[in-house]
Amino acid sequence: MTPTVPGPAGLLLRIAILVAVVLLATWGAHAIRDALDLQIRPDNERQVHRAIMFGLVAYVGLLALPFVPGAEIGIAMLAAFGPPIAPLIYAATVASMMLAYTIGRFLPIGALERLLSFLRMRRAAALVARAAPLSGEARLELLLHGQPKRALSLGLRFRYVALAMAVNTPGNSIIGGGGGIMMMAGLSGIFSPVATFLTVALAVSPVPLAVMFLGLRI
Amino acid sequence: MAQLFQIAAIALATAGTGATTMAVMNEDIPDLAVPEGDWSAGGELDGRSFEIIGTDLGSGAVLEDEIIFRDGTFQSVDCQEYCDFGWSAYETKTVGDVIHFTARTICPDAPHTVVWYGTVDGDALDVDVTWTTRRWYWTNQIEITATGGPALMEHSGVSG
Repeated sequence: MTPTVPGPAGLLLRIAILVAVVLLATWGAHAIRDALDLQIRPDNERQVHRAIMFGLVAYVGLLALPFVPGAEIGIAMLAAFGPPIAPLIYAATVASMMLAYTIGRFLPIGALERLLSFLRMRRAAALVARAAPLSGEARLELLLHGQPKRALSLGLRFRYVALAMAVNTPGNSIIGGGGGIMMMAGLSGIFSPVATFLTVALAVSPVPLAVMFLGLRI
Repeated sequence: MAQLFQIAAIALATAGTGATTMAVMNEDIPDLAVPEGDWSAGGELDGRSFEIIGTDLGSGAVLEDEIIFRDGTFQSVDCQEYCDFGWSAYETKTVGDVIHFTARTICPDAPHTVVWYGTVDGDALDVDVTWTTRRWYWTNQIEITATGGPALMEHSGVSG
């Protein structure tokens, strides 16, 4: 099925909706931060430290799981603590993506499916079950589900670019989110660890680096 | 075996990237710069204690504290409550009638360093403080400026 291309009016409408969503999200994040009144003081620094460590573990773990929203934790931490926390979020995101990739690449696919089923993650288990009988390239096609044939062909040729784009595509939770995409990349067996690592290190850098160097506040 | 080696290599590369990111991107924040001078081991303020009211310059929060000088050592009651800093040596220099003092206190079980620099002119005390926390993932500093006067009664809950 070929996706329909929107006309100029439709495109403008989509851009307007996207801008409105971004503005609303920014306003919401500021409102939440103001409501929390999160100030680090001598008397609460230890609690803040514990909260950051807990949030970090949850972030790495949840982000690595398919179909589980984990990125929001990182966004929330960036919103709450601003640029100083950006390096930690960046490192944690790389760790989480590589964890998902490693699980996909090295855990036997049957064991992975059983593990996800045991964790009651039915959609993730179904995704793995769907991928199990496929070839490596066909598994990659799963990542590019819904794309035109030309995009599929390009995706297979420039698979690391496709991987970077898939990880950064808004709404990628439909195909498993960052964790699901990386797990599928590992399962496909066509992504080498070194190149995947470099791809991930570059792909997840824009938001934390923008926060850090441009002083952007979420 | 080869798979274990690859997993270990991925873990190592990830940890190395994390450590490098922290080392390169985390900027240290220097402690309070204490003016140079003819500092010597403190003693002039021994036996005195001050109630101070300060402001956290970052958040605007008002902080109340009591600082005590005893036997060449210094203690902040609040710091003691937060992190068991204990008693720390202080240094002084006298310029005219004004006694300048400074102390660097270190929390034994958390990465907090607190640097104090103040003046005592008669009964009036002015002090600047930085509370710097150097965690492995960031450095956070709280700047405080405070003024105070003699404490009516020395805090009884502080032990040396």
